[in-house]
Order: sequence, then C-alpha cells, then structure tokens
Amino acid sequence: MKAMARISTRREFLRAVGWGAAGVAAGGLIGMAEQNSPLGARRAEAATTALSLVATDGYLSVPGREGNPLYIFGFVPVDPALSVAELISTYKGHTKHTAPTLEFLQNDDIKITLTNLGLVQRPDLTDSHTIHWHGFDLPSPVNDGVPEVSVAVPIGKQVTYFYRPHREGTYMYHCHFEDVEHVQMGMTGIVFVRPAQDGTSIGGFTRFAYNDGDGSTGYHRHFAILFNELWTNFHDGDRDIQESIATDYDPQWFTLNGRVYPQTVLPNDSTSLPADMRIATPNPNYDDAPDYSQPNSALIQVNPGDRSLLRLANLGYQQHSMQLPGIPMHVIGQDAALLRNGAVDTSYWTNTLYLGPGEARDVLFDAPGYDAARPSGSDSWGSYNVYYFKNRDWRKLANFGSTAPGPGGMMTEVRVYSPARPLPAQTVVSQTYV
Amino acid sequence: MMRQKAQRLAAVVTLAAGSALVAPGHADALPAGAPRSGMVCTPGAVSGGTHTFNLVAKTGYIETPDGNSVFMWSYANADAPDSGQFQSPGPVLCVTQGETVVVNLTNNLPEPASIVFPGQDAAVAATGGAAGLLTTEAAATSGTVSYRFTAGSPGSYLYESGSDIAKQIEMGLYGALIVRPSLGPGYAYDAATAFDPAREYLLLLSEIDPDLHHAVETGTTYDVNARRDRYFAVNGREFPDTIQDNGSGLLPNQPYGALVRIRPTSPGAPPALVRMINAGALNHPFHPHGNHTTLIAQDGRPLRAPGGGSASTEHFGETIGSGQTEDFLLRWDDQDKWDPNTNPLPVAPPNYRNVAFKDGNTWYGGSPYLGYQGTLPTGVVSQNICGEWYFPWHSHALNEFANFDSGFGGMATLLRVDPPGGCTGYPTLSTIVGGVLKGGTVADLGVDDTRYYMVNPRTTTRPTATTATQTSITVASAAGFPASGDYYVRIDNEVLLVTGGQGTTTWTVGRGQLGTVAATHLSSATVTALAVDWYAAVTGLPAGAQNLKVTYKGENCGSTTATTCVAIGSNPPQQTVKICNWTIAGAAGCSSATSAGWVALPPPPAQPQNVGSSDVTSTWTLPGPASAYVGTGSNGGQVRVLVHTQRYTGPNPAPFSTWGNLMALTYDAP
Repeated sequence: MKAMARISTRREFLRAVGWGAAGVAAGGLIGMAEQNSPLGARRAEAATTALSLVATDGYLSVPGREGNPLYIFGFVPVDPALSVAELISTYKGHTKHTAPTLEFLQNDDIKITLTNLGLVQRPDLTDSHTIHWHGFDLPSPVNDGVPEVSVAVPIGKQVTYFYRPHREGTYMYHCHFEDVEHVQMGMTGIVFVRPAQDGTSIGGFTRFAYNDGDGSTGYHRHFAILFNELWTNFHDGDRDIQESIATDYDPQWFTLNGRVYPQTVLPNDSTSLPADMRIATPNPNYDDAPDYSQPNSALIQVNPGDRSLLRLANLGYQQHSMQLPGIPMHVIGQDAALLRNGAVDTSYWTNTLYLGPGEARDVLFDAPGYDAARPSGSDSWGSYNVYYFKNRDWRKLANFGSTAPGPGGMMTEVRVYSPARPLPAQTVVSQTYV
Repeated sequence: MMRQKAQRLAAVVTLAAGSALVAPGHADALPAGAPRSGMVCTPGAVSGGTHTFNLVAKTGYIETPDGNSVFMWSYANADAPDSGQFQSPGPVLCVTQGETVVVNLTNNLPEPASIVFPGQDAAVAATGGAAGLLTTEAAATSGTVSYRFTAGSPGSYLYESGSDIAKQIEMGLYGALIVRPSLGPGYAYDAATAFDPAREYLLLLSEIDPDLHHAVETGTTYDVNARRDRYFAVNGREFPDTIQDNGSGLLPNQPYGALVRIRPTSPGAPPALVRMINAGALNHPFHPHGNHTTLIAQDGRPLRAPGGGSASTEHFGETIGSGQTEDFLLRWDDQDKWDPNTNPLPVAPPNYRNVAFKDGNTWYGGSPYLGYQGTLPTGVVSQNICGEWYFPWHSHALNEFANFDSGFGGMATLLRVDPPGGCTGYPTLSTIVGGVLKGGTVADLGVDDTRYYMVNPRTTTRPTATTATQTSITVASAAGFPASGDYYVRIDNEVLLVTGGQGTTTWTVGRGQLGTVAATHLSSATVTALAVDWYAAVTGLPAGAQNLKVTYKGENCGSTTATTCVAIGSNPPQQTVKICNWTIAGAAGCSSATSAGWVALPPPPAQPQNVGSSDVTSTWTLPGPASAYVGTGSNGGQVRVLVHTQRYTGPNPAPFSTWGNLMALTYDAP
C-alpha cells in the first residue's frame, strides 16, 4: 500500500479522522500522520488541494447484529495516483462509514475526484454515485452533485468536482444519487472550512471556528461528529435484493461517526492498535476476512480548561436532542454561519442541543477542572473525569437486539484527563490518544 | 437501487418545452393574470377597511406524481373564476395590517367544520354557527359561520380547521394567511425586510397518510396513532408536480406551484422572500441547495435583538416545526462569476463518457456555466431552456424526499437560477432577401469576434449599351432587387433611380442621381444595387417568452471584394434593423424584404443609423409579451430580424458590403 501522494501545494491537506493519532501510527490504508503540520500555519496565498475518494460497498458492525454485519455503501479516501484498475483491486467491496472528515482552508481551490468502483455484493446493481457538498454556496450544478440537475458517476468512471469555499464553518457531504437510499447506506461525512483568520493570534487563540475578529470562536481542540441512523430495511434489502419503501423509515441504531456506544469511545482506527481497540467486521464477500470499516472515533479527549469546538452535523433523517450534562454548551455557529449579525450576538448557551437533519452546529465548551471526586475512569492514557455527550431521547441510547448491559446508541464520552499526564497539543481534528 | 419510475415525466416536459406542447386549460381557482410562479394572493373583496373572503369547506381529490389519487378535504374560494371548485390547499388569503378581515365559511362537509387563525393578535368574532371546542363551527352539510378580526402584526400565518383537528387538518383543511405591513407590498415587516415583490414565494408544507384519507372516504375507522405518512407536499403538490406552473391544467385541484426563481443579485438590490408554513403534524428539516437563506422572522415575529438590531440568522438547513411559519430572504450575490471565456472553472466539465444522466432526463443544460447550453448525449431529454441552473430544495428527512416508495419526489421543489440578462438566443437560420453572400455563415453571427456574416449588394447586367439620356432600360434579371418602391442602382460611375417597372426586367429610371452625371455605358455593364437586405432567425423560443431585446453589431465596408473591411471615410450607409411581426396583415411570413410584417425596432436607438466601417452595437427593447414576434406553425418559435442597409445619399454613393458580427436575442423565459 502506498502512502498518499503529495500532489498538493498546500502544507495542510485532507485530515482524516484517525490518521493522525498521536501515539498511534497511521491507519491501515494511508500514512499521513508524519506529514501533518501543526494546525494554524498560515499561507500567503490561496492554494490548490486535490484528493480522491472511491465509492463502493462493504459491511460494518453494530451490537445486536453479531455475526450478521450490516451491508453499507460508503466513501474511502485513496491515493489519487492509483489507476481505476488498481483502485478496484484494492478497495472494491471494502468501504467505510463514515467517510473521512475533510478539512480545507477558506478560499482555496479544491478538487475532489470521485471514482465509482461498483458493488461486490450486488453486481446486478449499477448505481451511479455523486458528491454533494451540503450547504456550499453558489456552486455550478455540475459541482453540486445532484444527478437529476447535473451528472452522476457510473461504475468504473471518475469525475473531479471543484470547489472554492468562501464561507468558513462546518458542513457535511454525501452522495445525492437516490439519496434517500445512498445516504442511509452510509455515504456521509463531515467537511469543514477553516477561516482565513486561522494562524493569527487573537485573544490567546490561533485557531478559530470563524473569522470572528475577536477570538470569540477560538479553540484548543476540535472534534467532528456526524449523526446518522441505521435502518435494517435498506441495508438488508439492498444486500438481499429486496425493495425497501422509503416512507417506512424506522431506524434501529443511532450513531456518532458511524459507531454506537461503546464503539464511539474506541480510538480512531489504526493498524497499530490492539485488537480490542478496533472494530473488526468480517466481510462475507471476502471469506469473512476482517474489514475495519468504522474508522472514525467520537471520543472527546481534553485537558482541564481546554476550550473545545464540537463540529456537529446530522445526516440522519430524524432530529436529535443532544446533551452534555455537567458542561454547558455555547452554540456559536450553525450551518457554516457565525451566530452574529453585525453587532448583535446571536450565539446562545444551552444544555440541550436540538439538531435537525441536514443541519450543522458549532459548539464550544470549556473542560472543567479535574476532580478525582467526580465520576471518573481510566484508560491507557490515564485517569479522567467523564462527561457524556448523549441523546436525551433514551430510545436512541439502545443498541437494537443487543443483550449487552448499559447504554448504547448515540452517546460518547468527554474525558477530562488528570493533569498528571496532560494530552499533547492536538494536531488533527478528532485526534485520539492511547 | 435503480428503480423504474412512474413519475409523470411528460408533465414535467411541459414546463420547459412549452413551445412544443399545447398546455392544457388553466385551472380557474386562481385570479385571471396570476403569474406562473410565485405566491398568488386571493383577491377577496375590499370595501373600505374591510377585506372579505368567502370560503367553502368541501371534498375533492388530488393527484400524486406516482399516479395515485387521494381523497382530501379543503377550503375552496367561492369567489374564484371557477366559483369554488375544490382546491388543495385552501386559498392564500393576503390582507394588510389593520384591515378588518371577514371570512365567511360555508361547510359542505358531512360534519361540523370551522376555521381558526393562530397567531392573530386580535380576538376573532364569530357570527352564526354553533359553539365548538376551539371556535364557532359551521354545521354539517351547508351550515355557515362568519369570522371577523383585525389583521394584526405583519407576517406569514396559517389558518386551519378548529374542529376534530386530528382528522380535519390531516384531511387538508388549512391554508396560508399573509398579513402585509402598511409600508407596502415590497416589505415583509419593516424597511430592513424589503424584498423584490416580483419574487415572493410561499412554501406550505404538509403530509398525507393515504390510509386515513381512504378511511374517511369510505367511512371506516382509523387509528391516528398508526399514522404513517406516504406523501409529503409543498403547496399541496408533491415533487415534481411542485414545479408545474401556478394554475396548471394538469393539476386542476392543486393550483399552487412552488418553483422558486431568482437571478443573480447585486449587493443592494432587494432579495427574494420565501415564506414557509408547516401545516403538517411533523417537523420538517428543509434544505435549500445553492445558497444560504436568511431567516428573518418566525411565526410572524421578526427576529430582533433586545436592543432592536436584527437577529436574523443564515441557514443551509432549517427545521420548521409543526404549525410554525418562517420567513426567509434569498440572494444570489455571485463572487466567482465563472464564465467559459473570461473565468473558466479550474476543472474542465466532465467528459460525457465518464458520466451518467439519471433516468435519461435532466434539468442540466449541458454546460456548467450560467446562461450557456451545451450538447447533451443522444437520448437524454433536457428540461433546460437556456442554460439556467436548477437546485433542489427539499426536506432532509430524506424519507420525506420521496413519493411513497420512489425517491426524488415528495417534499421538494426546485430553485431556478436564471441567467443575469435573461435567456440569450443566437440565429440559427439566415436568408438573404436582397443581396448575395460574400462570405461567412449564420454561425458567425453567434459570436462577437473577427468572423463576419458578409452580404454584398445584388448585381445584374445590361444586355445592351446604354445612352446618356435613356430612361427605360432592360436588365438581365430583377431577382434580388426590390419588387416595389423607388430605389437606387449604380452603373459604372452613375447612380440611377428606379421609379417604374420594379419586379420586372424593364425599369423606368432617372439618370445622373445623387451627385453623379448621366453617361453612356457599354453593353454588358454591371448594374449594382445600393442596398442589401438579409434576415436571420433565432429559433426555439418558448411560448410565453417576454421582454425581447435584439442586439445587432455590424459594419459596412467600402469594397465588395476585399477580404478585410475597406474603410468608408464619408457618406456612410444607413442601417435599419427590423423585426418580423408575424401577426400584421399581409406579413406573409416576412419572406421578402418588402413584406408588410417587417417593423423597425423602436428607439432607442433611433433608426436609421449611419454605420460605417467600424462595428456599431445597438440593442433595442420590445417590452411586454413577445407573442406577435414569435412565429407559429412551421415557423414555430422563430424570431426573425432583418438588417436593411442602403446608401441612398449623395455625393456619389458607391457599392458597399454589409458585415454582421453579432446578432443576439435576449428574453425572459416563462
């Protein structure tokens, strides 16, 4: 497997959740950690970034479906230098969910090449795919990825999409081909745009959610968390050549970054991790050889006093009411827009964040001090206080069919570590430490 | 998963290819002259400060794009041209703040029905009827009740049934109530919420569980808790029906379209206003593709900070709660202005061998650039008129972005972005009705460049020698010379005026005209016209095109043989550009230069114009409907523009060549 070629003139590039974990060698597919420069480096002029994604099928695991993984479609980041034939031989049938978190800088030129590898489980199914950058302003339809008003990418073909994002903030991306099916099947990810202000020093911060001018959206660590749901009908129906009726929608699992609790608190996937910290899914189309198809952790690891930015997006079909008991949440952005209107501050503090499908929020919180008397735990990094970022609707805190005790579903943990062993500075979004 | 679609694509085709298909009769629930897109207000009757509407609660059916027909209840407008035929949803009631609003309800349903006006500040007084749980009700089967209230704060509101609401609202008893500020129709609330009144849109959301409707239709029981919605509507239609025109005869009981149209805006120009109302029981997360929308008000309350500043927010997705209303402003202030010639996208458009067109049908114009069309693969049907862009606006609860079991339907509409100057067409046909082709093709008229469509004057010969005093001459051929009217020709160094025998080969002539001297001419001398006439035609104009603008850019050159334009230093030719009015008696298809159908394009600029050997660009505007200028029958969709150039002024006018650089027709597409 080749390391991703550096075809970009940018120093900062795609940062996929989990590929840059400190103390964790890069994930199994692409080595990027050593190439990541510190966030916040500024460049004098706009640059061009190019990256490549493939679309294909695969499987993932959820508690309650042991021995019977869920069939999925998804995007996998790949080396742009590989030919279509090489991509097919390497990646076809080994997709992942969620898609990599994409990070770009405001006003850069961005080229994303999508290759449709086709489906191993359903060779009869000749679906095309697209990339829709959800929320992007004023695209040409050809770059908006809606097949009915532009074009789609059929099997074995490549198309390069172009973007020049002028508006910083948190967005999402997904396939728009038969989207009620393909989004549910797993073709979803977060994309965010860093402000041009990044790299300047304002109010003690050098990284910001928005061009705020006053440092009010500065952060020390940021985490991209995508909400999704999993409904067996589409997954099993597509696997078994059965029709699903979209308006029957009634999902069984509720995920953060494609994982349910307690999967959500496992680190970003890496070949260097011990087996019990990885999510292996036997791929029935490859003699049950394991795929590690849920690469993106939802674990939030912070030091006391860290200001953290949650980049939240919902590509499920239901609204979700999220809480972080013990830590108030400051909503400073939504839908890639700073919550400020001239001199009027429209940001708000809340304990309950209600997020509808297709919406995004940027939420700041300050990690409390470490207190050994508070609910605590310890992991391979050290001792921590734990706070739960979870759905208030407890029906979404269950793993359908699972007999394991305790909560499941749409929940993860904020771990505030003891000062005895502080976390190093974050170098990539959603970085995890083991 | 690919599925066969049962969508009425033919109905969609009508939208774009209106010139090819005769649109069925207009539904008459709407007032005469209602626009094809945008919110349509019900006029009602205004007397003094009182605004009265007469509604009828009744039953009917709607159609869904997957071929279903669903039994509905709704309010009809008794004062409509169709005298209260069933329509879903109810009429859009627009009133002005402070008006006394009277709504008279006649109930033709088999059970008591009523109307409530949630969000109105003032008390609603009822006359007649009988007390019900929430308001006064009209008795079943032709009972009546009258409601009266003072229109309160400006904004978008819902009106709906106040009787057996779990059933009656689901069955369709709802509509939009718009309260305008006294400031005027171009304001949503206040000076800060000014919008373009020509771009006011209403998107009223609702859901349908056809099982409940079937139970009501057949008088059987239904468990509301078992509700499972299958159809998700915008303005009472499911996509793609939502983009049909207002009042489309294809949807006789669903008069309200939901197509949103905008043109690129410039900072300072007013935005479009999009009023959203959720009449359903579910919350709907609505996702506008293309640009952020600005939320300015909720439930008729402008978003303001405690200090009074605007607290509006920007969204690419916004969940609108059950029963809620939200008003948005929409702009299209382009920053990159991608252009194929001056600012191309850094990534070339995809090669068609690498892409697929879904279902062989597309709204894509074949070019990534606004206002440009390209070729599409054979077999792909395009709904695109002239390179406009389309973006879906839809519920991002994607199970609602479906018609029962087929995707790309349901709670969705399209945003249509029109090219900044309107649609532009270029000639595809040309005919020389007085002259001969020197060089170039009609395609040269489509691009402003160094290639010209070049026309020389007609020539013939004198078979015999000419004396200096002869006033009747014969010519070898009269073809290409005017069949009527006096005109000048030139033989050698003499200009002659033809005053008789036009259209024949024996002409009566005046000698030594325009500063020349009568002279003898040898046998076989060349006779050259001093005028040229040619026309070019833009084809494929959609029916309903409006506001034509004709642009012509060309020059006249002093030589009929040189390959470069020979300068004309003085005494330049005069150019008159005319358009064919096909409806003028005797127009005869504008097939000759002297047809009665040719009318000079109205000033400005005034005609004729002196046009010498430098390109002159002129644009003429023909306001209003373009129908008289768009051909029918075998000339369907054709607009003909004639360029007449003559050099009928002294001293000593010499033959010239007319070179056309660019001819363009811009118009507002329907």
